[in-house]
Amino acid sequence: MTARGFAHNLRLHLIAGGVVVSFAVVSYRLVELHVLDREHYLSQIQDARHRVIADPARRGDILDTRGDLLATTRTDITLAIDPWALPEKIEAQKFAARKAAFESEQRDARASLAGLLGVPTDTVETAFAPAWKSIPVTDDTEDEAPDGRVRVRYVKFLEGVTEEQFSRIQALRLPGKKDPVRIAGLTYERRFRRVYPHRDLAAHVLGYVNKEDVPSGGVEAYADRYLKGLSGWREIERDGKRTELAQFRQREVPAADGWGVVLSIDCAVQHIAEQEMNALVEKFQPAKATIIISDAHTGFLLALANYPTFDLNEFGSAPLEKQRNIAAADLVEPGSTFKIVTLSGALNEGLVTPASKFDCTLDSLVYNGKPRRFMRDDHHFDHPLTLGEVISHSSNVGTAQIGMLLGERRLYDYARAFGYGERSGYPLGREEPGLLADPARWSGIDITRIPAGYSIAATPLQIHYGMGVIASGGQLFRPQVIRQVLDASGEPVYTFRPAVRRTVIAPATAETMARMLQKVASPDGTAKVAAIPGFEVAGKTGTAQKLIGGHYSEHNHVGSFVGFFPASRPRVVVSVIVDDGHPPGGGTAYGAIVAAPSFRKIAEQLIQYLDIKPVTAPGVALAAFTSEGASR
Amino acid sequence: MKIQSTRAFATQIVLGSLVALGAGGSLGFAIVDLRRDISVSANSARVLEQRIAETERRVAEIGGLVAAGQSPEVLEERNQSLALGLVPPAESRVVRVGISVTDRLAANRKAEIFAAETGQNLAPIRFNLGGAPR
Repeated sequence: MTARGFAHNLRLHLIAGGVVVSFAVVSYRLVELHVLDREHYLSQIQDARHRVIADPARRGDILDTRGDLLATTRTDITLAIDPWALPEKIEAQKFAARKAAFESEQRDARASLAGLLGVPTDTVETAFAPAWKSIPVTDDTEDEAPDGRVRVRYVKFLEGVTEEQFSRIQALRLPGKKDPVRIAGLTYERRFRRVYPHRDLAAHVLGYVNKEDVPSGGVEAYADRYLKGLSGWREIERDGKRTELAQFRQREVPAADGWGVVLSIDCAVQHIAEQEMNALVEKFQPAKATIIISDAHTGFLLALANYPTFDLNEFGSAPLEKQRNIAAADLVEPGSTFKIVTLSGALNEGLVTPASKFDCTLDSLVYNGKPRRFMRDDHHFDHPLTLGEVISHSSNVGTAQIGMLLGERRLYDYARAFGYGERSGYPLGREEPGLLADPARWSGIDITRIPAGYSIAATPLQIHYGMGVIASGGQLFRPQVIRQVLDASGEPVYTFRPAVRRTVIAPATAETMARMLQKVASPDGTAKVAAIPGFEVAGKTGTAQKLIGGHYSEHNHVGSFVGFFPASRPRVVVSVIVDDGHPPGGGTAYGAIVAAPSFRKIAEQLIQYLDIKPVTAPGVALAAFTSEGASR
Repeated sequence: MKIQSTRAFATQIVLGSLVALGAGGSLGFAIVDLRRDISVSANSARVLEQRIAETERRVAEIGGLVAAGQSPEVLEERNQSLALGLVPPAESRVVRVGISVTDRLAANRKAEIFAAETGQNLAPIRFNLGGAPR
């Protein structure tokens, strides 16, 4: 009894002691893990499981005025290969049969991958072939025996894989297998890529985002603060299979996608301009050319096309010359298109009336006590020309006399008021201010040259918006391209309004000028080819000899036609400027030859597209023009 | 007595340990189950997030493809390749109607209706103004 009791007691004590010791050991281990070695293990966990994952923001879309996508962002997948992953996995298999089966399965999977991607199987096999690369022996830390060569663990295999292709790769199944097969060593990287669905359409307006996500030029650069959004991040933990353990998400800052930008550019109008540009380039082989179309009431640009241009999706292969927006960054002599400034100034000052006549047969005239020799006119006029005839026949002599009436200072002031010699405020990219010297620095003959658009230089945009002053009833607009900014959900955040830089001339002066400019596109004018029956086309041709090597060239010209219609109720202003065109069969590249026909073709299409109504009785709506002009 | 007391103590330790193990185990199981539920829910949310992101990516990709497909240049190429013969409208091919289009359409429709009714052997109405027979 005693022995049994002792034995019983001993067992109990042993068990109790064992339990206590076990608890003590467990407790000690817990203290060791959670208190003594806490930092060590935490750092191990941190390294192995903890990650901070960037959550890049999606760049906002750029839309045209009708909501068509001009630039968008989509994901782009790059496939890469670790060629050593497969041999290592095969090596890890214990049995020869399994090794062979695994190898065979992977070979089949790679063949299927080649089929999915449309590349030869050999190409895939070559990419998966293990390779070495040489490095300095001192840098060789891959193994314990530095031999100056390391395994190539990353081979970029294919860029630009679409989401659809990629989902097919992920769902790749081999015949007879239920689960998708994982191709050993195949990795991927997904990132956002900017795409331009219309390729070269409005290339100089849009600009582009390069592969480092840096915007370059155009709306992309100007509106970057709206478009780029704000990238987020999150701290996560991953398990041994590198799968995120969502329950251990600690901190998360969601990405705020970029805002959208709606442009005033209309895809269809832009296409009309670019189509005509292509035709013009094919016919006249110019060095450069620009077509600008804007809304006469607001100054918003509807289209801006340059030659040369480039494909926005292939910006890397486009030379910088092609990427320059020549409409804002290049200077040309405006030639006769500038005459509207001289005439508007004189009319606005009350120095002349449409009935005023000028003897355009003169060779020179005394101005400020000195005889000033005129530039010759291309035509001989047998009678004094009225103001309207001076502009419709584009007489240099007549315009110079009007410039003399106006005087150097006032001519200069009006030129500045029309936007010459200063930046127009075009927001996208570099813009030249143009060349317009202060009258104090004018030479003796400048008063005969500048009124006709020589001895000054302007950008095509300045020339275009100068004509816009007449079309708007006397106001100079700032060129604008962005109409609205939309938030990520598509709601408008900000709407841009027309920006009037200044009132240049009285509405009545603008009306008179519009009437006179109608005669340019008449059978008696210099650009009868620009006329469209029933639509009151008003405009001005320009032909300027190019200054080459310090001399005006007889063979190189800048031909232009800048106009608007309908003259009594202007809807659009269109400029066609052709630099160094070569008419088939030779001859001078007059504005009436190289630019006016394009103006007409564009205008005819715009009539249909913008539903511009004909003016049945010319001049009937001039009252509306006058009354609306002041308030525009 | 002493022995009894020791046995009771040992028994209490064993029983206490068993109870503690049982309770701790139950609590542990409950916590594990709870954490498993949390894990399942979090993973479901993660999977849903991934699907939404994937859908958004596909939408963006398809949106870009649609925009490219609707590009005027592409449409023109298709017009040529499919020999549709579509041409842009030109002023020379347009006949402008001087009167209101609505009135014109209404007049045409009325004429059609009256013509149809006349076709149903309805007697035409004739107004004699001023009482003079015509």
